[in-house]
Amino acid sequence: MMGPTVRIRRRVKATAEQVFDLWTKPELMVRWMSPFPGTVVCEASCDPRPGGTFSLFMSSAESSREVTGTYVQVDRPRKLVFTWIGPLTNHVKTLVTVELDPRGDETDVVLTHERLPTSAIVDGHTRGWGNILDHLADAAAQDS
Amino acid sequence: MTEIEARKELASRTARLDALFAALADPTRRAIIERLSRSEARVTDVAEPFRMSLNAVSKHIRVLEASGVVERHRKGRDHILSINTRSLDEVDGWIERMRHYWEQRLDAMERLLLELKKDQKSGPKDRKRGSR
Repeated sequence: MMGPTVRIRRRVKATAEQVFDLWTKPELMVRWMSPFPGTVVCEASCDPRPGGTFSLFMSSAESSREVTGTYVQVDRPRKLVFTWIGPLTNHVKTLVTVELDPRGDETDVVLTHERLPTSAIVDGHTRGWGNILDHLADAAAQDS
Repeated sequence: MTEIEARKELASRTARLDALFAALADPTRRAIIERLSRSEARVTDVAEPFRMSLNAVSKHIRVLEASGVVERHRKGRDHILSINTRSLDEVDGWIERMRHYWEQRLDAMERLLLELKKDQKSGPKDRKRGSR
């Protein structure tokens, strides 16, 4: 457990593969990830493999924002884990986990969003974080 | 407010949230908060249910105090701990903003799935029309 997290569960009418692609294909990402209503310019690029990065640039007439991150785990079509840094997170690194659980012709999407307590990263006491920590360290080096 | 002041305020809010989330990342500290959310209590009473030394629990309490979640005041010889709910409101606020953001994004994702499904259906149908 990493402390307080946001967890949302939703069942959607699509296969896990279809949903996974929405999260990892730039041409699909730009069609739903922008929070701006109305006409929006949205550009995305991504390199979905552990250690690969993504960026999402969204702008409307009034404002713009950029979200960036690094993939930690890419396991199509079941699980996607990536860091997420943007205005909404006060440019603090957070971790998003998307788990996809097929239910017949539907899919349960479980999204978990958590802040990464710096002390936990330094101590590295969370199980199975060896590689992840390396990737995060790389990402942190790029950020600063 | 000048831009520098605004940035400073944002930085201090970010640091505060970092400390809060780090404090809440530990199960013992969460249990202490849960205990104190029922009523204020003496340090010794808070420590009692835990299978660890008073010293170890005191360390956790100090982390909670440093983050601002827990406050301490003296009543005679006793140290009384209580929750600073305003600090937890800040955590709630962060979580609410994120939840709101993702709920809306998932709504948009579902709308796109519907659109894609329609495209898929209309695609083959259009082609079949000629052969009917």
